Amino acid sequence: MKLLFSCSLLLFITAACLCGSAATRKLRGISSSYKRFYRERRSFLCIDGSRVIPFEQVNDDYCDCEDGSDEPGTSACPRGRFYCTNLGFRPHYIPSSRVNDGICDCCDASDEYNSHARCQNSCWNLGQRERAYVEGQMRTLDEGLQLKQQLIEEGVLLWREKQAQLRELQQVAEDLQIKLEEHRRRKQEVEQTLKALEAGDTRVRGKNSSESTFRLLDSNKDGSLSVEELQEKLVLVQEEELLLSEEEAVALMGGGRQMDLPMFQHSLWDVLNTENRVKIRGIVDAEDPHLKAADTAAEREASSLKKVEEAYDTINMEISDLRKKLTIDYGPDWEFLFLNSQCYQLNVYEYTYNLCPFNQVTQKSTAGSEVSLGRWGMWAGTPKNPYSQMVYENGEPCWQGGSRSTTVTLTCGTETALCGVKEPSKCQYIIDFQTPVACQPVLKQRGIHSEL
Amino acid sequence: MAPVLVLWLAVFLSGTWAVDKGNFKTCDQSSFCKRQRALKPGESPYRALLETMELTNTRLTLQLINDNNKVRLLLELYRLQGNMTRVKINELKPLKPRYEVPDVLIREPPTEPLSLLSQDENGVVLSLGAESQRVILSARPFRLDIMEGRDVVMSLNSRGLLAFEHLRMRKDTFSYKVTSTVASVWNNIKRVFSSSQADPEAEKKEEADPAAQPEAAKEEEKDEDGMWEETFKSHTDSKPNGPSAVSLDFSLPGVEHVYGIPEHADTLRLKTTENGDPYRLYNLDVFQYELYNPMALYGAVPVMLAHNAQRTTGVFWLNAAETWVDISSNTAGKTVFGKMLDYVQGSNETPQTDVRWISESGIIDVFIMLGPTPKDVFSQYASLTGTQAFPPLAAVGYHQCRWNYNDQEDVAAVDAGFDEHDIPYDYIWLDIEHTDGKRYFTWDPHKFATPKEMLQGLSDKKRKMVAIVDPHIKVDSNYKIHNEIRSRSFYIKNKDGGDYEGWCWPGSAGYPDFTRADMRDWWASMFAYNQYEGSMENLDTWNDMNEPSVFNGPEVTMHKDAMHGAWEHRDVHNLYGFYVQMATAEGLIQRSGGVERPFVLTRAFFAGSQRYGAVWTGDNAAEWEHLKISIPMCLSLGLVGISFCGADVGGFFKSPNTELLVRWYQTGAYQPFFRAHAHLDTPRREPWLFGPENTALIREAVRQRYTLLPYWYLQFYHAHRTGEPIMRPLWVEYPEDPATFALEDEFLIGRDLLVHPVTEEGARGVTAYLPGKDQVWFDVHTFQKHNGAQNLYIPVTMSSIPVFQRGGSIIPRKIRVRRSSSCMMQDPYTLYVALNLQRTAEGELYIDDGHTFNYEKEFIHRRLSFANNVLSSVNLAPEAQFSTGSWIERIVILGASKPSKVLLKTDDGQESQVEFDFDASMSVLTLRKPGMNAGADWNVMLQ
Repeated sequence: MKLLFSCSLLLFITAACLCGSAATRKLRGISSSYKRFYRERRSFLCIDGSRVIPFEQVNDDYCDCEDGSDEPGTSACPRGRFYCTNLGFRPHYIPSSRVNDGICDCCDASDEYNSHARCQNSCWNLGQRERAYVEGQMRTLDEGLQLKQQLIEEGVLLWREKQAQLRELQQVAEDLQIKLEEHRRRKQEVEQTLKALEAGDTRVRGKNSSESTFRLLDSNKDGSLSVEELQEKLVLVQEEELLLSEEEAVALMGGGRQMDLPMFQHSLWDVLNTENRVKIRGIVDAEDPHLKAADTAAEREASSLKKVEEAYDTINMEISDLRKKLTIDYGPDWEFLFLNSQCYQLNVYEYTYNLCPFNQVTQKSTAGSEVSLGRWGMWAGTPKNPYSQMVYENGEPCWQGGSRSTTVTLTCGTETALCGVKEPSKCQYIIDFQTPVACQPVLKQRGIHSEL
Repeated sequence: MAPVLVLWLAVFLSGTWAVDKGNFKTCDQSSFCKRQRALKPGESPYRALLETMELTNTRLTLQLINDNNKVRLLLELYRLQGNMTRVKINELKPLKPRYEVPDVLIREPPTEPLSLLSQDENGVVLSLGAESQRVILSARPFRLDIMEGRDVVMSLNSRGLLAFEHLRMRKDTFSYKVTSTVASVWNNIKRVFSSSQADPEAEKKEEADPAAQPEAAKEEEKDEDGMWEETFKSHTDSKPNGPSAVSLDFSLPGVEHVYGIPEHADTLRLKTTENGDPYRLYNLDVFQYELYNPMALYGAVPVMLAHNAQRTTGVFWLNAAETWVDISSNTAGKTVFGKMLDYVQGSNETPQTDVRWISESGIIDVFIMLGPTPKDVFSQYASLTGTQAFPPLAAVGYHQCRWNYNDQEDVAAVDAGFDEHDIPYDYIWLDIEHTDGKRYFTWDPHKFATPKEMLQGLSDKKRKMVAIVDPHIKVDSNYKIHNEIRSRSFYIKNKDGGDYEGWCWPGSAGYPDFTRADMRDWWASMFAYNQYEGSMENLDTWNDMNEPSVFNGPEVTMHKDAMHGAWEHRDVHNLYGFYVQMATAEGLIQRSGGVERPFVLTRAFFAGSQRYGAVWTGDNAAEWEHLKISIPMCLSLGLVGISFCGADVGGFFKSPNTELLVRWYQTGAYQPFFRAHAHLDTPRREPWLFGPENTALIREAVRQRYTLLPYWYLQFYHAHRTGEPIMRPLWVEYPEDPATFALEDEFLIGRDLLVHPVTEEGARGVTAYLPGKDQVWFDVHTFQKHNGAQNLYIPVTMSSIPVFQRGGSIIPRKIRVRRSSSCMMQDPYTLYVALNLQRTAEGELYIDDGHTFNYEKEFIHRRLSFANNVLSSVNLAPEAQFSTGSWIERIVILGASKPSKVLLKTDDGQESQVEFDFDASMSVLTLRKPGMNAGADWNVMLQ
């Protein structure tokens, strides 16, 4: 009510001033803080000090001062500016070129005092709207800030939780490391035993040259192996030892029924060495039971070591993932932390956009193909508020070279959501992203010019 | 806008960044060009049959006969008003009519009587009026020589290259066999009963040379490759009419400089073509065109100017088929040593340029413009094809374009950006993406859901919009435009009689037959506000792809055997774009009830296109060389009547670096059509995206354009009245100064402004040639005075745009630069009076409402002149009515001395003193606020 009153009073005063034409002309387009430069009534010193002109030449629609200061109320000076008082709304300067150009720029219509434009004084309405808007904004801000506080608290908890998780993981990793070392030690021991045993065994086996084996198989010592001799000396190992059938023996002899030494060396000897399902009877039986035990132990140790190693790697990966996540700048109060691991979607025309903060942005067309619009890059806001923008880079490559990238602009809102996506140039996307955590406790908005 | 996507992908993938020359024919690959070019200079087989001569008051006709094949031609010769000669050659009795280009001439050119000076068996001499100009027609062989006194100005067929492929029957057809048999029987009968009166000359020849007839027959039989069918890449041209080419040579004694025949990305001065292909005129959508070569581009104006220090002439070859122009010169090939040898040996061979025109079909219809001054040639050509359309003032302002502004929000943001950065503009443009699926005359239902709201928003700021309307129409039975065209059978037909379909932006598309007047009327009616939904008064039109571009057609254009009624596409090809723009401009005029001047930009054009709007140089690239070539390309267009020319500022393909972008704005601000444009795939480049310093540089360039709008508008008015180019080569104003003949890095706007833009990367200075021995030039920024006839080195910084005002001129400016030209309508003028050595100056002031056809009666046109220390304004059009609120706020006199007082005398007899300021160091006198109305009579006296 008080506001309204002071306004109408001022309007009245302004109207009264208009009657005293000359004086009003001189004052046109000047803000109150500049009025002191125009107080002298005989001459006028250009504000840049460049020139003195008679006072009649102020606002006489001819530019005398280089800085345009003699024509604050006309369009005469290329560099001039006109002050819209905009009572009831926000005062501001417009370039002199917008004075009397037929377009209403000042809501108080003061810029079109000599044109065909029919400007209504809309300051009061604008002010109302602005006030409503600002109030809405303030409500949003208040609400947003409260939510933000919660999110900060959650963020702190989350941060602690993550830290604890990290510690826990690190503990597990340490334990695993100890276990790992233990397993490695044991594996080494078993392997040594096995090696020692094998060394003995190899000595025996080492003597088994092709000739001695041939002799071993050649029961009748006629210098040639027969089917019967093979059936007698060789077995098939399959769960248990099986005798060779005649066909199998013939097959082993390469389809023949006799085999001399050179032929044996070129065929069956290799089979015996590589195919462990065919063995010489008695040799298996002859294997050292200690060796067998050691072998099994070594296998067991190796597999359990592998399991532990895998677990260790997994844990380390989790740790490094978590560390990486924790090295991201989540704001001074970790308020952006909760966005991590969330995703937000928006449909624009035929596309669905998906923003997973600190991870990636994708675009999916109704046709179905998904395209990366960039992976998390960095914060890229103003130096004053670096958290007002995120950049996602190195998305899918583009036709003209380079790759898709997305700039996400964060604004204050009461919920966290995508509000708009634009592609001003090919492959360069801009996403509006609203979230309470972007709310900044600012000083009151630059006030509406409601009182003098 | 862009050309062929398919090609684009192909080229892009292959990683090259230049035109794929293989997509376009060389002369060798174009069978008629190859055939004709194989014909070498020598004795012409053509003979004039003098006894067939008929001379009436308006024309001379006689028959020519080709002694090799006995085919007769009909020569028509006219003397046209305004010192022109028209030579028309057609078959005497063609099998079927041959195409004669309609609609390009603004009327049947008025003739003047020809008189016979003398005649004997060797030829005739005709007088071309009083100026000792004659035409000598020699009979055997046929040739024409145009003489002035004892000098030959131009000769036709002096090298014997007149060729006329007469229409014939295909030999393997039944009807041919019948006809030829009958003909030979008839011949024999004729021989037996021949009477001397029938054709004595021909008969004599036959008797004297009995071998002639059989030989001719043999010649007849010789079918060369490509006469009846021709294949290029995968496309076959069925050529049902067979060979039909025409060719003629012109010799220009004393000429070393020829210009014109746009559109080519080449030097202003045309080169000789002996060592390569001829210049080609065939409207084509050339993807990433290459510079400095004679390949065809989007438009074709078959007009060539020839110039030497004594005389300027022109040749207008009125033919719309594919055309090749060969240029040779007897001096071009000579080395310095050769020239010296000539000198030592006393060889007095005069320099000569020989030109040969070859067209695929139609007739020979040539207008020889005899000047003798450059301006005479302009007015001669203008009297044939008309002058530049007088555009609305807004179109002379700055245009902001991009493929594409994405949606209404985007448009609003860009519009607001101009206000925020205080840069004026008049038009914002929408490329193809604004449509609903490339269906022209529609809007994308999501992105441009409320076009009228958008247009109203622009209108509230006194700004306008251009939306694209291309001539290819999506084949889609749910599309009104397509259905109507189809139901009216307005589409061009393929050779088999069905609707021709080609591939373009929308996919499968039909091409309306714009050569039909009823089709054009219908098309024009589609621009009515109730037809073109979402359109408003401030929406104008852009016709792109009107070569026409057919992605899957031969050379990315239409098959030559497609049919326009009775005519083949071959006959009319170069006219298509001309007609599209004609119909569109007519539509914009009609929608306003004939009140508003239209603005239509076209990519393809032909002779006469100047009558319908503006052209631009197509899809250039963001490269320094492309910036440079914008000057000769627009100069060449201006010389042949198309003044409203510009290049995409910034370059269409690729992304300019900041320096190039700024330099391009600075250059574009001084070219007639000033529009920034960018390819879809390039990053945004609105003027404020390159840091505050560069924003300021671009702002300043655009503001310079706007301060000069009164001068620009006056130039457009002149171009509209006279046909003189706006942007003109220096030789047009200094025709006797050979130093100007090949200049193409600087130019004049009208007579009074000389511009030498900076087009070199990292330039520290430019050297400008200031012409005129007894002339002075004033730097428009510093007011420094320079003498003419010198090369002046000008150091430059990034803010420099070297521009000079001619001493002796008066240029009106409006220095209150506002949001748009329309915001500045009522603003006061500042007159810049630049004195010459005689301390005089002259200029003009032109004012009208800026947008309607009322200018024909309602305007202010005043002569401003300064002499004897008096500056006065005199009415040049006392019968015209117009009143303006604009007044004279300032008069700046360059090269002045200090007066003791200055008096203003207005027409009511009142005298008042005017305050002034004198800068002795630069000799600049500034008169403060004289205040008289711009439309009034007044005198300002310096005492």
